[in-house]
Amino acid sequence: MLTGLVSLRGEFIALAIPFALYLLIGFWEAPETADLLVERRFSNDRAAPDSDVVIALTIKNLGGNIEELLFEDKIASRLSVRFGSNRHLLRLPKGSSHTLKYTVAGPRGSYIFDSIHIQAMGTLGLIERSRTIPVGGQLFVFPEVRRLKSVSIRPRRTRVYAGTIPARAGGAGTEFYGVREYQMGDSPRAINWHVSARHAENLYSNEFQQERVADVGIILDARERANLFRGSYSMFEHSVRAAAVLSDVFISHGNRVGLLVYGGYLSWTLPGYGKVQRERIMQALAGANVGISSVFAGLEHLSSRMFPTQSQIILISSLARDDLNIVVQLRARGYQVMVVSPDPVKFEHGLLPPSAEVELATRIVRMERNLLIRRLERAGVQVIEWDVSKPFDQAVGPILMRPHGSSFRRML
Amino acid sequence: MTEFALVSAILLSIGSLAWGYVKEGFSSFSLFLFVFGIVWLFSQWRKWDWFSSIGLFVAVFAAAIGIWLEFDLSWMIAGSVFALFAWDMTEFRRRLRYIAVDDDIRGMQRRHIARMSLVILGGLLLMTISLLLRLRFTFEWGVLLVIVILLGLTQLITWFRKQ
Repeated sequence: MLTGLVSLRGEFIALAIPFALYLLIGFWEAPETADLLVERRFSNDRAAPDSDVVIALTIKNLGGNIEELLFEDKIASRLSVRFGSNRHLLRLPKGSSHTLKYTVAGPRGSYIFDSIHIQAMGTLGLIERSRTIPVGGQLFVFPEVRRLKSVSIRPRRTRVYAGTIPARAGGAGTEFYGVREYQMGDSPRAINWHVSARHAENLYSNEFQQERVADVGIILDARERANLFRGSYSMFEHSVRAAAVLSDVFISHGNRVGLLVYGGYLSWTLPGYGKVQRERIMQALAGANVGISSVFAGLEHLSSRMFPTQSQIILISSLARDDLNIVVQLRARGYQVMVVSPDPVKFEHGLLPPSAEVELATRIVRMERNLLIRRLERAGVQVIEWDVSKPFDQAVGPILMRPHGSSFRRML
Repeated sequence: MTEFALVSAILLSIGSLAWGYVKEGFSSFSLFLFVFGIVWLFSQWRKWDWFSSIGLFVAVFAAAIGIWLEFDLSWMIAGSVFALFAWDMTEFRRRLRYIAVDDDIRGMQRRHIARMSLVILGGLLLMTISLLLRLRFTFEWGVLLVIVILLGLTQLITWFRKQ
């Protein structure tokens, strides 16, 4: 057009007219600021790993016509879209609403959805207005839980309520505890006739062990050095699964369970009972990540509010060399300590190419680990090794379910 | 639908310009335009969207030179207008890549092509009217137009800054 004006030739102006009209209409029809109401709904906001979750977004246009609305729901990189799309391009006339659905799936995690990004365009798409609309939502993908019937533990102290943990005290129960003199009120069925026959002056009754609920503290080792091998191969998922199974079984038997995830920092879930506590623990496990702490610093100062003294502590850790002292200290403070230890030697051996050097190194590391475990057992710590190539409930479940005396036997 | 519109627009744009040049004996430049058209088509097949901006610039530049050299005006203008159509289609197709399968793809395509066709037709109509009227340019008329354009550009820049 300028060329036309300079050269005073109308043909150039004529050439510019379609372009000028295109620009004029493009700017004239520029979209207003998009006034949208967006709602997000999940088909299930607590899901199992890799199971489908449908996300429905309802968008209502409270402003003027939007010829082209491009929107993108921001999702975590670890989630994958199975069906549909989290990006859509649609026309949204004034006052209309539209519901869009897509399906995601992902590994264990706590996923926060905070906003959607929109681009509203006018008739010719020349002008676009971008905006981020906050639309909250949270999706928990809980670790897989395979139910165990029971886990045999024997803490030194139990709580007052009836449960399934032997309480080291005579009373009503199912497990034989001892024989005492007959007392008024004892059931005739409780009289031990064999013992009474030997003592003519008195009758004797069988006494059973009281069964109560107990305090169980689960410590999940999330240190990088105890979980990551050969760069990115991690045993952490196995440990999380074990923690989920154990917390589930203890809570379902009425025990008071607390969780400590020990990674980059200490993440506490205070002890509690019931379904609410199960939910809290599962949420904590869903969000648990590997951290960079190197030693169990601070574990020797466990709060008695968190883990009451003489209660049961279950440490889920592959165990590093310098963990011996701290675990023994826990035992010395009166805790009944059980270590569920995913076997890192077998795990890493499976990742390495077979060679004579690897075999030799494996043997050396295996001996060191056996020595560490033997020292722990000598200190009264129950250690259960777990070959993570087998599911927790199959590999460790039978050992955990055995009565306490025999469960000290290590898995080979 | 948009593929057909895009390919047709590129062919019509390059074809019009090339024919306009051939008619005036500029066969070598026509050959260049022809090769450029093939590259433009190839770029769209490869989804090099940025190439359409170059295509639009080259087409408008070729049309302006043609007009300067007083070639047949209708071919030159047709070449530049179809290049604008092709550029718009490329941008529209780029946005359509975000569309999901369950969105109303055909409806959006139909509406956009119809709107764009109307804009182009309106532009061509206005252009034809202006050529038919053949307003005679005087110096004063030119100065007035420059002032109007500068005011328009100032408004445009202010509007962009507010965004």
